[in-house]
Amino acid sequence: MLAVFLLYTSIAGGTPQLRPSQLKGRTAEVSIVGKVVAPVERSGRTIRFRIKDVEGGSAVRLPVTYTGSVPDLFKTDRDISLKGSLRNGVFVGAPGTLVTKCPSKYTAKKDS
Amino acid sequence: MPELGRAALIVCLGLALYAVVAGALAAVQGRRRLAESAENAVLASFGAALVAAAVLFAALVQNDFSFVYVADHTSRQLPLGYTISAFWGGQEGSLLLWLLILTGFSAAAVIFGRRSARSLLGWAVPILGGVTVFFSFLLVAVSTPFATQAAPPDGAGLNPSLQNPYMLAHPPMLYLGFVGLTIPFAFAMGALLARRADELWIVVTRRWTLVAWTFLGFGQLLGAHWAYVEVGWGGYFAWDPVENAALMPWLAATAFLHSVMIQEKRGMLKIWNVILVVGAFGLALFGTFLTRSGIISSIHSFTESSIGPWFLGFIGVVLVGSIALVLSRLPMLRSKTRLESPVSREATFLYNNLLLVAFCLTILWGVLYPILTAWVRGEPVTVGPPYYNFFLKAFGLPLLLLMGIGPLIAWRRASLRGLGRTFAWPAGVALGCGVVLLALGAGSSIPGLVGYTFCAFVLASITLEFIRGTRARRALSPSGSWPGAFASLVGRNRRRYGGYVVHASIVLLAVGVVGSSAYDKVADQRLRPGESMAVGDYRLRYVDSEQRRGANAQEIRAVVEVSRDGERLGTLEPGKNRYFAEQQVSNEAAIRSDKLNGEDLFLIADQIDEDGTLFLKALVKPLVNLIWIAGFVFLGGAGIALWPDAREQRRLAVRYGGRDSLARV
Repeated sequence: MLAVFLLYTSIAGGTPQLRPSQLKGRTAEVSIVGKVVAPVERSGRTIRFRIKDVEGGSAVRLPVTYTGSVPDLFKTDRDISLKGSLRNGVFVGAPGTLVTKCPSKYTAKKDS
Repeated sequence: MPELGRAALIVCLGLALYAVVAGALAAVQGRRRLAESAENAVLASFGAALVAAAVLFAALVQNDFSFVYVADHTSRQLPLGYTISAFWGGQEGSLLLWLLILTGFSAAAVIFGRRSARSLLGWAVPILGGVTVFFSFLLVAVSTPFATQAAPPDGAGLNPSLQNPYMLAHPPMLYLGFVGLTIPFAFAMGALLARRADELWIVVTRRWTLVAWTFLGFGQLLGAHWAYVEVGWGGYFAWDPVENAALMPWLAATAFLHSVMIQEKRGMLKIWNVILVVGAFGLALFGTFLTRSGIISSIHSFTESSIGPWFLGFIGVVLVGSIALVLSRLPMLRSKTRLESPVSREATFLYNNLLLVAFCLTILWGVLYPILTAWVRGEPVTVGPPYYNFFLKAFGLPLLLLMGIGPLIAWRRASLRGLGRTFAWPAGVALGCGVVLLALGAGSSIPGLVGYTFCAFVLASITLEFIRGTRARRALSPSGSWPGAFASLVGRNRRRYGGYVVHASIVLLAVGVVGSSAYDKVADQRLRPGESMAVGDYRLRYVDSEQRRGANAQEIRAVVEVSRDGERLGTLEPGKNRYFAEQQVSNEAAIRSDKLNGEDLFLIADQIDEDGTLFLKALVKPLVNLIWIAGFVFLGGAGIALWPDAREQRRLAVRYGGRDSLARV
């Protein structure tokens, strides 16, 4: 049975989950997890911003563009996850895949 | 006051330690007085936990911000109800609630067990004590709710998304379910340690398992409704790790509730049942670990905390210890009887178990996949809803079918002719239903059509069971009325017919889930005031946007006129609230529920621009309301199965005999 899971998951494919600093020019579809860096520009339904690694001091600031529903909690400094792929150096998010991580249910984040 | 709380927790830890040591010593040496003293320690530990909980409760209600916990999770403006819910709004309080429920359940199990299952209690007490030791140790040494500070003028407040009536009921219900699984686990281990291979432990803990399972099931449905109404993305379950964390032990407990019947009736599956109860308890612990360790990223994103490694260690101890114990008792657990035919009631129970466990493992695999791939490949790979939905269909549809077959098929060995006779009616109804649905256009989703046909089959076979049973009852006393015969049928077999009602609720749930996921319609459009869009049979006309000032938020609403087939159905106002104090925006979806066909029209105002341009998302979710109705049917069925039954008690008392009887289970 485990074999079936393995087969299914490897064929139907999960999505690799990366930090902005790990992307390094990869263009396959991935899910990226990072922290939103100001400024966030809006035009119509499209938003443009940059994201950095949630932890660690990496200097990578990945430019992102996304069109579609934006969760309520989306704002600067929030941790987000977004599916999409890199095109010409800009990470293009797939509509409806932008997920904001709730400020933790169990700990009050003093800074947010 | 905080000193009192801390002291109570230390006393609780001490009592639990004593229950472990004295209880084990008493069980090994057969010392009755010492065993009673260990039992009393379990009772007293509940008292100590109660004192600790009362201290935290008082601090919350009095806004005593010198408690770090109170200052972090409440504020002066917070309404009283949410101030109380902050008890389980944070990690330390949640752990304390867990300890309180655990010691309360343990005390009740000791009191009932003294009357009914002395021989098991001997070893169950140190096991219960051991679990209590773990939780009270965490609260004393790792994550205390009684840390103090110089009181700040006001607290940090509770996350707005948790300020919701569902928050009052949903988490405690899940806890009651998680913790309740400890009791059958403790008695199963107690039976193995006492070298009892019979079914006494199952009979003694049957109601405990049912109660835990009912809370867990209903709690999850409440969570789903919360997500649907409040979070407003148009769904109710997203296969998030935290949701899966509660679903897995429920599935394992469901398998357990079914397979124990085979052991009771036929003396089979003894090893399997012990493994299931260990699995259910282990998954309940794992679920707590998942939500606390931050090891898996989830939209719920619980921050990493210090208790993760402790939990992992405890789960390891529980699993290794239980497996070693089961292995050492293997010869004793071998079944006397074998499966006689692959076409029999026993066999369908077995298939049901395999499917439930397979589904449970699939989910576990999906949850762990990012961790495993991170180890193997160096980067985590996540699997999403397509993975889970695929296996939901692959395992869920056969499960549904079995629910119709199981109750009707004969024990031991079913003949082919008998099968034909038994299933002629339900199969006919199901096929007829399938054809009608196909004609109505349900063929747009093959799994949906198959699911509905199976649902019809199950409902028909349940109805048939009720009709046959009532007829047989009535034949026994021809002078009685039909309703009287029906009531006496259910009253005399509460467990069986309660179970059928639960099956009916699962069918309702399936109908709702299939309808709202396989036959839903979605439309997404940019509208200027005055423009219209269509979704399903509905026509939506965007009149204009409105702004108003609410008590604590600026409310922006899009006024949308809804009509269907030229008939005006009224207006809906999806929009957004911009909360002043918390500086947060919240999406306020608008839902129109059709009372007649259970369909929802779900509107989300994705964005309302300054100039009034609206980005509207509209979903039509057929039959979704059956899911919530299923919750109440589920409760009703579980209630029937749980209701005490004097006749059953007497029968069991005769079976297990003597002082070790089941005067009251």
